[in-house]
Parts: sequence; C-alpha cells; structure tokens
Amino acid sequence: MPEQTEEITLLETLDHLLDRGVVIAGEATISIGDVDLLYLGLNIVLANIDAVIRTSQK
Amino acid sequence: MKSVVIGIHLNREDVEPVAESMKVSDVFASVVGVADDRPLGDRDLLLEIAAIRGRLLDKATFIAVRYGFTVRDENELAIKCSGLTARWRELLVAHRDEVEMTLKAAAAAPPARPDRHDFPSGAAYLRALHDATQTIHVDPEFRVGIERTLVPIATQHRWIHRDTHSVELAMLVGRRNLDAIRDAGEKLRRDFANAPFLLSGPWPLEVFANDHHE
Repeated sequence: MPEQTEEITLLETLDHLLDRGVVIAGEATISIGDVDLLYLGLNIVLANIDAVIRTSQK
Repeated sequence: MKSVVIGIHLNREDVEPVAESMKVSDVFASVVGVADDRPLGDRDLLLEIAAIRGRLLDKATFIAVRYGFTVRDENELAIKCSGLTARWRELLVAHRDEVEMTLKAAAAAPPARPDRHDFPSGAAYLRALHDATQTIHVDPEFRVGIERTLVPIATQHRWIHRDTHSVELAMLVGRRNLDAIRDAGEKLRRDFANAPFLLSGPWPLEVFANDHHE
C-alpha cells in the first residue's frame, strides 16, 4: 500500500506540474531522447487533449 | 543555457536558495538553469522540477507556471510577462497564507470515450472528447457529503471537469486549515467507504491564479 500511495503521489504531482498553473505565451520543444516530438509556439506545453481544448477556449 | 520558469513569487527570499530568482517588475520568478541540449521532456528533469516546486511551496505560497515555459534572461522574462505582473502581485498578497488542495472524485458513470472513427475531422473528435468531460458527475449523495465536509473549510472552491473518469474539486485553503482539511478527508473516507477519491495537496496557486483568464 505505501508503494501504491507513493505512485499516486508522483502521478498527481506530475499532473499538476504539466496541466496546471498560469500559462505564459512562449514556445518549447518537447523531446524524448534526441527526437523532437512537438514544437508548440502557442500557449501550452506538454498537455493532454482536454487541456489543449480548455486553453484554446480561453 | 535556458531557464525553466517554475513560479512567480512575492519576495526574492521566497525563492532562494531553493532555486535561482529572476526579478520581473515587482515580483520574482523562480527558475532552474537547464543545458540547451537537455530536452524539457527529460524524466529526471521533470522529477527535479517537481521536487523543487514542493520545496518552494514549503517556503511560501507562489503562483505556479505551467511546465515548459523557458527564458534566456531577465529581459526576455520581462517582455513575455509584460502586463501580467501587477495582477500576479495582487494575487500573491491576497493569498499569501493560502494554498490549493484538490479532491479528485471518480465519476459515477463514466461515458464511453468517443471513437475517432465516428468523426469526420480531428477537430470534431477533439470537441467530442471535451464535451464528454462535461457530462461527468459524481454520485449526488457523495457530492453533498463533500460539500458539507470539505467545502466549509475552504475559502474558495471550484468544481472542474478535466477528463471522462473523474471530477475535480479545487479548493483554496488557509495554511492553518490544512490539518482540518485532511481530517475532513478522512471523515469523508469513513462516511463514503465505497466512493473512490483522492485528496491531494498542498499545491501552489494553480486554478485560482487563472481567475483573470476565465
């Protein structure tokens, strides 16, 4: 159970890091290894689809 | 070297020595230097930033900046944050002694996820995914329990639909009331043993720092 709790805590922490907080106009390249996956010159980075839509509606 | 911006703070000492600080107008940004060839998606970097974020919140409440925002120097930061800092300072002063707590409650009856093949375009599919999140609800009795147990302790609260499996309650809570919120969470767990939920926090100002955008 403690292991499971730690996992949930980590997931929740990363969820907050990636999908919460104020968005400042900027740009970023998101890569895994040396391969660029996304280039976003928009207002959002590394977000899930729901977050992308929420942001686009603001 | 680029600098990943973690948050916006009222005072320089709210940042240092946990992270480096950059002055922007009359507030301060917490930043961490990252080598140019290190991708922002680096797992270890994400974990490092998450840990720093936690230590910064231990020092003082700050406004979280969504991960991925980088600057080269204070000049670039000033340009990109132009027009935002007065509102940030106002929020930081108003909520100096408060943090956010989140309760994520499982949906009572999660809808089927929309199937991409049922939609003529990617945009329509994305819209359907979003719309599906808005139909989510928690068991009404459980929601009443939440609103009677947790909400009275919070100074502000907001229900948020983020996905198709859960509904989230974001609460602004005085730091002195954190134990009370956790105790209320335990009571909720006892009273609704079959209702899955996750009470997490404290978090920096995330949802409530976005008020002026919504």
